[in-house]
Amino acid sequence: MWVPVPRPLLALVVHWGSPNGVTEQSNQVYQLWNLVYWISIPLGAIVIGLIVWCAFRYRERRGEERIPPQVQYHLPLEWFYTIVPLILVSVLFYYTYKAEDKEDNVAPNPSLVVRVDAFQWGWRFSYPNGYQVLGSVSAEPSINDTNLPVLTLPAGETVQINLFSDDVNHSFYVPAFLFKRDAIQGINNSFDLNIDNSVAGQRFIGECTQFCGTYHPFMRFWVQVMAKNQFNTWLASRHGLSTNVSIG
Amino acid sequence: MTLLEERPPERYEAPERRLTEVIPAPKNKGILAYLTSTDHKQIGINYMVTSFTMFLIAGAMAILMRVQLAVPNNNFVSLTTYNELFTIHGTIMLFLFLGPFAFGTANYLVPIQVGAPDMAFPRFNAFSYWLFLGGCITLLSSFLTSSGAAQWGWFAYAPLTEWIHSPGPGGDLWIVGVALAAFSSMFTGINLITTVFCLRAPGMVMFRMPIFTWNQLVTAFLVLLAFPVLSADLALLWADRHLGTNFFNPARGGQPILWQDLFWFFGHPEVYILALPFFGMATEIISTFSRKPVFGYKGMVFATLSIGGLSMGVWAHHMYTTGAVLLPFFTIMTLLISVPTGIKFFNWIGTMFRGSVRLDSPMLFCLGFLVCFLLGGFTGIMLALPPLDFQLHDTYFVVAHFHYVLFGGSVFAAFGAIHYWFPKFTGKKLDERLAKITFVIMFIGFNLCFFPQHDLGLRGMQRRIATYPSSAGWSFLNMISSIGAFILAFSMLPFLINVWETLRKGKKVGPNPWDGMTLEWVTESPPIPHNFEFIPPIRSERPVWDLNHPDHPTLPHGKHAREMARERREAAMAGVGAGGALGGSATGPATDGDGHVNGHGNGDSPGDGNGSNTPGDGGDGFGGGSP
Repeated sequence: MWVPVPRPLLALVVHWGSPNGVTEQSNQVYQLWNLVYWISIPLGAIVIGLIVWCAFRYRERRGEERIPPQVQYHLPLEWFYTIVPLILVSVLFYYTYKAEDKEDNVAPNPSLVVRVDAFQWGWRFSYPNGYQVLGSVSAEPSINDTNLPVLTLPAGETVQINLFSDDVNHSFYVPAFLFKRDAIQGINNSFDLNIDNSVAGQRFIGECTQFCGTYHPFMRFWVQVMAKNQFNTWLASRHGLSTNVSIG
Repeated sequence: MTLLEERPPERYEAPERRLTEVIPAPKNKGILAYLTSTDHKQIGINYMVTSFTMFLIAGAMAILMRVQLAVPNNNFVSLTTYNELFTIHGTIMLFLFLGPFAFGTANYLVPIQVGAPDMAFPRFNAFSYWLFLGGCITLLSSFLTSSGAAQWGWFAYAPLTEWIHSPGPGGDLWIVGVALAAFSSMFTGINLITTVFCLRAPGMVMFRMPIFTWNQLVTAFLVLLAFPVLSADLALLWADRHLGTNFFNPARGGQPILWQDLFWFFGHPEVYILALPFFGMATEIISTFSRKPVFGYKGMVFATLSIGGLSMGVWAHHMYTTGAVLLPFFTIMTLLISVPTGIKFFNWIGTMFRGSVRLDSPMLFCLGFLVCFLLGGFTGIMLALPPLDFQLHDTYFVVAHFHYVLFGGSVFAAFGAIHYWFPKFTGKKLDERLAKITFVIMFIGFNLCFFPQHDLGLRGMQRRIATYPSSAGWSFLNMISSIGAFILAFSMLPFLINVWETLRKGKKVGPNPWDGMTLEWVTESPPIPHNFEFIPPIRSERPVWDLNHPDHPTLPHGKHAREMARERREAAMAGVGAGGALGGSATGPATDGDGHVNGHGNGDSPGDGNGSNTPGDGGDGFGGGSP
């Protein structure tokens, strides 16, 4: 596609502490960042450079009284800086459209469908075999508590999440997936996650990003990624059970 | 002498084209003037002072929030207090500071810039101000209720705002306060549009209006398109809370997403309502302090118009993550806005290019505006791309983005405007040294406060959280941000001292201390009650420059430039010399030693400048001195 940037350089300049995406979908985000940086860093440098250079080069020295040529129009130049941004915007739109199409694609036959319900204040994760994880915020929660509800997902599979809200608006956000989606009553939101095999066994934090009332900051959860076989065994062992977690 | 006396006196009568006429009223002083005035200048000052007070109040709330977030797992304020603070901070800054401050400057300056004696509807104007003040008091009073102020953020997403989720009068006072501000804005919008369309001085055609006035005009149209939707939205919410309706109540078939659509249909034009007037201020300042006309004036006007137009069709880019909007449409519309905004940037640079740039405090604030707003613009483009927005939405990246736009952009330009027009408002110039100190502290504090927040957002810190865990890895950046916030708050100190000291013992400056180019700089500082004793002929968008620098008219361009060069060559060949062909600038009015016109003495001169660069339809000044 576009010129690939050496990874270490990118991590230095571009990453800014953002987590590495761990899903197939987040790869789209990463590539788009790449393009955006390639356009905006040189462009920003040029514009800021011009501003600073103009202010410095043409500054009026102390005691100097100078009336510059009263130029007001230069149509070819004006057309130039109208058309070039239009072209840049079109390129950006083309790649955005492609990336967004792939990221938003919901496969017709996912290997696992998990229902996620958000509520004031907590999460309910329901698996197809009836296993349910319920995590709700306790009466006086502590933000440093790590005993959070766990959403266990298999790596290397297409997982479809169906997202619902019981009451006010919430948002399902896992920073490592570079993705979030709102949970709003009246809207049925579904999205796919294809988690990389390389992160099997790892745990990622999840958050609510839509302000939902007093205990909004405490609506956190873990995403536990398991290798496919391990996950199937685990899920079978949970048939008909449920886990309750009190956050904080 | 004799020639002038022989002219028939009718020629100097002002044409009867006014909608309003000046009726001398008893002149009140002090608090009574403030309470009863219908003079657009007094109302403008009222707006600016009131909204700036609100800015300081909401800024203090921001400091409380930054103290709370300075360290993880902090208990400086309670969860509910924190939620009240960010709600009221945002509401004040957006509804009761930036907008009304812009309307304050519009009130003061637009009538003068178009050569009018007042706004079109002076009493209506006073009414707008009182609605706005009522809104401020109503909103702030919600802290005094037993349930506290509203806790739902400035965009108040339903169904959190329904009575069962947020009971108590605090929320109701929020609705009423915002509605009062909304009506105030609409009335001001009507007033501004009428003033611009009906009260322009002879010669002030639309394409000779200063960019500031143009931007205020487009803003006023956006106000009229956007605020009624907000008012309707608020009315529906009120009905849901108190009249048993279910517009946003999903339990009874209502649609929470309806609130978001209606709110952002208002909310995105609102963002430009909070930006365009400040672009206008920056344009005026950059032009004056580069001693050049605005580069690409007409392009600038069309850029403003297209920003205004496009801003009506991008509301759902605030709703990408809801999964309920057509992403490509809103993406392309949003990306397109960057094109006219880019044009503005290059026009600002073009204005400075080969100019004579005076780095006085207003210009410094504008340079700060350019740099910070550029960063805010770039992050805006990033957020306009749905895949990136899915990562960044509702994180601190967004918080950083809109503070770069609204503080780095609008507030820096507002401070530039305060320093630029302060001599016009009060007759006294702010101390340059203190003003520069203000700028430096503010610029450092602002960037230290908000730049790290981009990074916090990329690291996954969601917005509107009252506390965060120690293990999240956000502690260091939050501490930096809080330190920046304190520096930023500290920058208000030299500014307030400067204003106080200047008002107390500042030296009087003349009507035009900056060599300004637009009509406000030809009248007294502060202007007399009906603004003008004398209006110079208006033959371009900078009549005062033409008056003070008759030898430096705007240069022709393109076809005209080539034609004039040919004419000059031909004239030279014919032995006439270059002077005749370039004429027109030679017969300006008498000027005093500093090159400034001395207002009253030469009322006989308007109309005699035979400008050849622009057709002279601006010949008749109104109310000129007696010949």
